[in-house]
Amino acid sequence: MGQPRAARAEAAWRVLTLAPSLVLLLLLTVLPLAGLLAMSLTYITWEGGRAHWSFAGLAHYRELATDGLFRTGVGNTFLFAISAVVAEMVLGFALALLTSQARWGQVAYRTLFLLPVLVPGIVIGAMWKLMYNFDFGIINQALALAGLPAQDWLGSRATALASVILVDIWHWTPFCFLLLLAGLQSLPADVHEAARIDGANWWQGLRHVTIPLMIPTILVTLMFRIIVAFKVFDEVYLLTGGGPGTATEVVSFSIYRRFFTQDRAGYGSAMSVVVLFVLALAVILAMQIGRRRSAAA
Amino acid sequence: MIGHSIDRRGALLGGAGVALAGLGTPWQAGAAEKAAPFSVVINTSPWFDGFRGVVEQYQKETGNQVTLDVNPYAGSLEKQRSSVRAGTGQFDLLIMNGLFYPEMYFGGFVVPLNEIDPSFKLDPSCATFDDTIYWDEKTKTCNAKTGKLMSMPINPNIPLLYYRNDLYQAHGLKVPQTFDELYANAKALHNPPRIYGMVQRGVRGPADVSYDWFPYLNGFGGELFKDEKGGDFTVTINSEAGRAALNFYLKLAHDCGHPNTGGVGQAEVIQNLVTGKAAHAILVIAAWAQMDNPDKSVVVGKINLALPPHAPGLKSAPTLGQWLGGIARNVPRERQEAVMTFFRWFQTYDAQVKYTVAGAPPVRIDVLNSDMGKQQKYRWMPVMAAGLPLARQMWTVPEGAQIVAVLELRLNQAITGELSSTAALNTMASEIHAIMEKGGYKTGRLPDLT
Repeated sequence: MGQPRAARAEAAWRVLTLAPSLVLLLLLTVLPLAGLLAMSLTYITWEGGRAHWSFAGLAHYRELATDGLFRTGVGNTFLFAISAVVAEMVLGFALALLTSQARWGQVAYRTLFLLPVLVPGIVIGAMWKLMYNFDFGIINQALALAGLPAQDWLGSRATALASVILVDIWHWTPFCFLLLLAGLQSLPADVHEAARIDGANWWQGLRHVTIPLMIPTILVTLMFRIIVAFKVFDEVYLLTGGGPGTATEVVSFSIYRRFFTQDRAGYGSAMSVVVLFVLALAVILAMQIGRRRSAAA
Repeated sequence: MIGHSIDRRGALLGGAGVALAGLGTPWQAGAAEKAAPFSVVINTSPWFDGFRGVVEQYQKETGNQVTLDVNPYAGSLEKQRSSVRAGTGQFDLLIMNGLFYPEMYFGGFVVPLNEIDPSFKLDPSCATFDDTIYWDEKTKTCNAKTGKLMSMPINPNIPLLYYRNDLYQAHGLKVPQTFDELYANAKALHNPPRIYGMVQRGVRGPADVSYDWFPYLNGFGGELFKDEKGGDFTVTINSEAGRAALNFYLKLAHDCGHPNTGGVGQAEVIQNLVTGKAAHAILVIAAWAQMDNPDKSVVVGKINLALPPHAPGLKSAPTLGQWLGGIARNVPRERQEAVMTFFRWFQTYDAQVKYTVAGAPPVRIDVLNSDMGKQQKYRWMPVMAAGLPLARQMWTVPEGAQIVAVLELRLNQAITGELSSTAALNTMASEIHAIMEKGGYKTGRLPDLT
């Protein structure tokens, strides 16, 4: 009799202590999501100082299927996220590896490499826009010194998206560097020692010891970055405004325009719901892969 | 001195001034009225310094408090929307752009001025911007005869042709009247990368390329809608006149424009002018203050203004880019009245002179036509006075935010070569037609251009 009562008391205690967090989660996450879903099924107009909601059914979702701008945005977002994150991971890992093996100045390197991630987005936008400026930018001035013609970095379809990706790489590589460095520094030294005694060279050690042990950290970093990269907004907003044409149209920017600038709350909500669904799916998939890899390791 | 004379006049008139306000002399009553503090939501346009200057002057003269909430262009609209849709608004005076004021009128978010002060009359010298300060709720049109006074004219922004007068004199050029003459002059002065013949706004922004292109569209005789004032919203942008306007715009950009026209916004146009890299630009008058500012410009005294060119046989058609002051419905009465006190002061001749001196174009035609315009510093005033009566509204429908998004994208695609001019015009017509159809307007569209 005593044991079940204690178990019941513990269960009640758990529920009681978790309840505030659950309520908070419900209020801050689930309810807004439900609101978003509800809005995606309505037309919202304003007249006489009041909002008028009318049921739209799946009209917004049907419109999405034929929205060329949305499709372009999704395509560009994938291209942006994959290219930027791959480059950031490779560079971040290389820098972390070099820093972790440096005999002196580790703190100085770490501080130096971290600087870009500390700069506010608005400053990054202003700074790079000036650097990319066709007439007065430092990049074109450097090209001119080398006798090369000026490039229209942000105004040409050929270079605009690549230019924005470059800014993202500059901005976010330090984030990857920091997480991967922490991962490298927490690896057990005796495994490396054993590999060295067995005759493994630097490359073999990296390939067969360091990288397999780093897989969980790499996956977590990759997931964080992919999620953030899919939500890219500030760099596009500040540098190109989605142009030229649709060259740098990304999905967050499309949502912003529809939802806020064009005041189409219903349609903007439908776009948000679809993107949210795709992102959630990607995260679940990544977590599954991570679990399998960890189990295999 | 001016402030002193107004105070004395206000003291002399005393309470009688308030009564006189009801007799149609509002400027006398407005001189030194005490009022509650109020807030203004405004954007950082090139004329903002002038507005800030005149507000500071108002505070100094009356002791009344005004708080300015300053934002980027798009941010200002978002803040206004959030404020007017709340139970109680955060902002009292909304500085509304010529593109989004219909949304505020149509949505019932601003109060007709005479609902707050039945005796208020707009000074007859104030510009009415193609009647856009009036709104007829029944017909949903801007009409001075049947509509109510909804807002105070704040800024009479219109684009004018900026040209390098020193280069004109050196090359013996004549000020262009027609588009062909503009092309010839721009071509003659085009010498990249030192100087570009014509710098145009081609970027896809909140209202960049479309605002820049409209004087061409209307100047070639094209229209967005068949008869907007008559309620016929048939989309006519893809007419032959529309095609001529877009082709000319592209030709100008290609033959004598900036190599990066697709990425050039208003800031870059101003930058090119003040650094001496642009021989011509069609630019809002609000940017003028920077041209003669020795701290910002290397071409002080070298730029003159003219009306935007037009096709032979037609008139110049500068596009209204006006700013209007509307009073939020969802704010306390005393703050609404405080804004009215400001309006009564703002529309006076003296206040408008101070507004001009502070760096913004005035809204009173008599100030524009005054002797100030004979001074070198204010040489823009006679040109602006000539341009205002010709100025055209882009549209007066609350769907403006959706229409401008279509125009910005498709025009930018035409400039960057992603779409041909014909495809861009047909796409715009189709998409704008869909917007109007969804809005329940009497609409249609011309057959596609081939």
